[in-house]
Amino acid sequence: MDNFSILSKTINGIVIFMPKGYVNDLGAENLEHACEEFLSKEMKKVVINFSEIQYINSIGASIFTGIVQKIAEHDGMLCFTNMKKVHSDVFEMLGITRHVKVFKEEKDAVNFLKESD
Amino acid sequence: MVEKRDITRLIFSISSLADLGQEVTSTKSFNERMKTALYVITGMFSVPKAALLLYNSNQQRLELLTHKGFKDTTWSNIHVTAKHIKSFSKNEPYNLSKVKTNSFYNPNTEALEKFHTKTFIPLFAKDEFVGAICLGKRLSRPSYLRSEKNVLKVVANQIAITLHNSSLFRRLTNKVNENKKLYENMRHIYNDTIKAFAAAIDAKDVYTKNHSFRVAKYAVAIAMELGWKEKDVEAIYVAGLLHDIGKITIDRGVINKGEDLSVAELNEIKRHPQISYDILSKINFPWKDLVHFVKHHHERIDGRGYPDSLQGEELSDGVKILAIADAFDAMTTDRPYRKKLSLTEALHEVKKCLGTQFDSRISNVFFRVLQKEIKGETKEAQILPHLDKGFDPKVITTLLETITAELSA
Ligand SMILES: [Fe+2]
Repeated sequence: MDNFSILSKTINGIVIFMPKGYVNDLGAENLEHACEEFLSKEMKKVVINFSEIQYINSIGASIFTGIVQKIAEHDGMLCFTNMKKVHSDVFEMLGITRHVKVFKEEKDAVNFLKESD
Repeated sequence: MVEKRDITRLIFSISSLADLGQEVTSTKSFNERMKTALYVITGMFSVPKAALLLYNSNQQRLELLTHKGFKDTTWSNIHVTAKHIKSFSKNEPYNLSKVKTNSFYNPNTEALEKFHTKTFIPLFAKDEFVGAICLGKRLSRPSYLRSEKNVLKVVANQIAITLHNSSLFRRLTNKVNENKKLYENMRHIYNDTIKAFAAAIDAKDVYTKNHSFRVAKYAVAIAMELGWKEKDVEAIYVAGLLHDIGKITIDRGVINKGEDLSVAELNEIKRHPQISYDILSKINFPWKDLVHFVKHHHERIDGRGYPDSLQGEELSDGVKILAIADAFDAMTTDRPYRKKLSLTEALHEVKKCLGTQFDSRISNVFFRVLQKEIKGETKEAQILPHLDKGFDPKVITTLLETITAELSA
């Protein structure tokens, strides 16, 4: 768990998470809980910036699966940005990226979410 | 043709299985281990909602052990009678939409649907029914591919055994024994998955069908003759199976071209041990030397190998073993650029390259095992069954005796 931390900020009602380190154990569920907290406050536009994520294993994938599901249940919008190829390959294979908008840069996602209402 | 997506899937499956192995044997609490195990599965197959249930045989019902993705977990009971248990296939995933009329499904519809169950897996450890996994809808395709079903079965089996060994099931379980049993079980799981993986590598290279498998066998024969510990022997076996995995990223045309390779193409091929290393070092294997064996299987004693031009004693025994096992199989099978050598020719070739390409001590061990196998002095022959039968055992035995005598002198 020491290897994982989350930075978050909000811009115009858009929540941006930048998780850092290894998403490979139940400690990473904090990211899911943080999402839920914002969803409960009706903040439903979420960006996850992957640039600081080093490693995602199946446990991590499970947590992202949960986040995708929760945001869908709340009719929210979820964007992934700055993904490394290894991660996008796995997410694509798992069908996760089908439910998410993927952008190269965080600002692209923010612009997209700003314009969508 | 091995597709990139298949490779991603294989790497992900194999590393997930490695994670699962580590999780179920970890020192965390039982509940935490089981929760993590459930997360491994839900992550492998992108299932947002799932539950792991434990069988209470006194009450003949499944009880919630851990779950993922539910707010309300007030659990209506799932009743499982002896008759139901008899009808289940062990650790086999059931697509619930196909068994709606089933005598098990009908009375339990409400409970199963409450947990969004699309796939139901009855868990058996040997013959004992221990619990079940309910998997909800997937984020990807609704059904499971055959290969996915196989992996699911392997995972289910692993979890079943963990449940069975747990103190909930057997209050007096010795922790050490439990872990040992799990480890034994993991070995089988690794074996099956890694073999599937090795087949994918060999499929890429038309001339080297089953090459990885034979290299693994030969390496094991040498390691055992050297008296290696069981766990180290496993490491060299898996290293043999996966040593060329880096080839999956190299253009098939280049691999199978054989002669007339340009310098660029040759350099491309020479990247494969490093790529193998890069791929495998992402996986949390229980054998720490494995990746080093793989990375250096094309190093030579004289330092003219690759990728690191290691020399002499910089090469570990494992590397030396893999190098000779790999080269010997290359010699005795057809290659794009030449026909295979006869056993006599191959042995002469190895002898010629002693001290330059191959290590003399390890090669001597290899000759000795082969000799023993021909004489029927080993419990199980690892090399002989894969060689052409057309050689004269007397001639080969004499040749081997001469070489080993020379080397020992
Ligand atoms: Fe190789």
